[in-house]
Amino acid sequence: MKRRRFCETLAGTGFLLRTGAAATLARAWDFQDIANLSHVEARYYKKHPDREIECLLCPRLCRLGDKERGYCGVRQNDGGTYYTLVYGKACSANVDPIEKKPFFHFLPGTDAFSIATAGCNVNCKFCQNWQISQVRAEQVPHFDLPPEEVAAAAEKSRCRSVAYTYTEPTVFFEYMQDSAISAHKRGLRNCVVTAGHIQPEPLQDLLKVVDAVKIDLKSFRQDFYRDYVRGDLQPVLDAIRKVSQTKVWLEIVYLVIPTLNDQKEDIRSMCRWIAQEIGLDVPLHFTRFHPMYLIKNLPPTPLSTLESLRDIAMEEGIHYVYVGNVPGHQGENTYCPRCRNTVIERFGMQVKSVSMSKGACRSCHNPIPGVWA
Amino acid sequence: MANLLGVWERPDVDTVSRELYLGNRMNGSKVIVIKAPGVTGSNGDLDRAKISGMLSLGFGKLTGTRETGEGLARLFARDARIGVKINTIGGRTISTRPELSLSLAELFIKNGWPERNIVVWDRTNRELREAGYRLSDRPTGLKIFATDTAGAGYETEIISHRNIGSLFSTIQTNFVTASISLAILKDHGLAGITAGMKNYFGAIHNPNKYHDTHCDPFIAELFESEPIKAKHRLSILDALVVQYHRGPSFHTQWAEPCDALILSLDPVAADAVGWRLIERLRSKKGLPSLKEEGREPVFLATAQKLGLGRADSDSIEVIEDEL
Repeated sequence: MKRRRFCETLAGTGFLLRTGAAATLARAWDFQDIANLSHVEARYYKKHPDREIECLLCPRLCRLGDKERGYCGVRQNDGGTYYTLVYGKACSANVDPIEKKPFFHFLPGTDAFSIATAGCNVNCKFCQNWQISQVRAEQVPHFDLPPEEVAAAAEKSRCRSVAYTYTEPTVFFEYMQDSAISAHKRGLRNCVVTAGHIQPEPLQDLLKVVDAVKIDLKSFRQDFYRDYVRGDLQPVLDAIRKVSQTKVWLEIVYLVIPTLNDQKEDIRSMCRWIAQEIGLDVPLHFTRFHPMYLIKNLPPTPLSTLESLRDIAMEEGIHYVYVGNVPGHQGENTYCPRCRNTVIERFGMQVKSVSMSKGACRSCHNPIPGVWA
Repeated sequence: MANLLGVWERPDVDTVSRELYLGNRMNGSKVIVIKAPGVTGSNGDLDRAKISGMLSLGFGKLTGTRETGEGLARLFARDARIGVKINTIGGRTISTRPELSLSLAELFIKNGWPERNIVVWDRTNRELREAGYRLSDRPTGLKIFATDTAGAGYETEIISHRNIGSLFSTIQTNFVTASISLAILKDHGLAGITAGMKNYFGAIHNPNKYHDTHCDPFIAELFESEPIKAKHRLSILDALVVQYHRGPSFHTQWAEPCDALILSLDPVAADAVGWRLIERLRSKKGLPSLKEEGREPVFLATAQKLGLGRADSDSIEVIEDEL
């Protein structure tokens, strides 16, 4: 789809699609001409002799010969120069509630203009968006949406922020970085939904242009990362720590998969690490798994498991612990840690009521950490 | 596309061809190396007559027959839909040569296999064109096209097998009943070598996910998956010019004319012999072995463990001949 047609669609529907990535999935196997992909030089790589390159964007550090693609499927070595194939080539663009990301302490009740390109630098066997993340750039429909148009479309849709989400924004780093700069110029915020599998240098640069980061911590065990994510745990912990040391807002999500990453002792270890290294105020979401992609033989996470893990996190002193993907559960609400008053009441992705004033509990005036305006 | 191919509905398993193949496999892991000095002209063009002669000689040696048609019939049922999976990622300089693939197709056609039942294919039409192929999708003729042809594409359901989770090309799943891996033999920076088994990376949508840990166990496990293993009949390695270092991309200084084809019913043995050829070239040129460089093609041992064929030198009978 050309940009003009896309923007006409945007204008025609008022607030575009509120259906997440689903609209693009049905046609995910229509091939795109590779000539229509971008050919923008990547920003983090090293040239080696004989037209080889080494990607420095993520911990995989792919070393590639001429004409080879990185693990992500959206970066390619052409003649010894490394290119991103997805700069300005969005495969999804939707207006979503910020709670969908989920961010619960970042501009609650607002919309985020949410974009993605194809590709991912890990391969989670439980990926919820595999039709767009686990494919190569030319295998998914995309449209031209350059950075300045991202910001313009977000503003036109009355969004307060731009979210880089659905797939893995690390793999469209250059596009995200430039879009974030454009969004800031228009007074919009930027939020990133990531697995945190990124090298320190690009992360450092990214944190200069974004306002919130949600990191999916998929397990607290390296063997889980090796077997089910095809990545490493330590870089993710490093990324979480790094974000927490800046002014960028951080939330952590943990997708609970029955029998695979729901061991209570691991969760307790993780919570102790969070409490010690990150702090008690970081929102922690335990979300419900649904069978998907390569893991279809397990049931959805029992509610009792989510509740018991939430209890463990609260026992370890973490203040804001949520249950996700269970609409109507009391664990969707934000409670004041001092007086236990409900300060934000939610149902699914909707904010039903807010009982805060100037970032503090309206009942006891205890400050609630977050970005509220 | 359904009309273009004429036979685009999902086929039954080609049991006749499969039994013929397994019957021939019973004879052990025989690998035929056919050389034809001068098959590559000084301008780089191939002598088509010599290529045909190499293939005929190879089939004869492989099947123990005098007539090429008889040899082919030992491996392929008359109504088999034959897929010739080539590797064209290397462009004109280091891909499966069109002269070779078309000569192979001609051999089948001359010996009575319907040309409409043969497809020479790879993953993208762009790569096919860049490697010198002229695309064709005539319903009644020899087909040359790629998975990204409108109407072809990948399956929409993931096939999961051990560590593999991929969408397979519908050419492999729906059209082909008997598959030939006609691969270019090359050094590979990660896998050690790329040859007949790794060629099937071009039959799935996400090969970029399978390059970790020297592509092991992924090459072997992909080959073991049902859409490949049940249909694979023959490996032929294009060793006319061999990139023995810094592959898989082309580097003139490390590309050696070898004027050879390698044929085997054992996909693991074919690749193992290809590996030895690369090691000989590396040794001759004073380069360290792949093992010394830390990129020995370990997928071969994995493939042997999975029972896909034989990788040990002692269990492979190599028969060399010259045209």
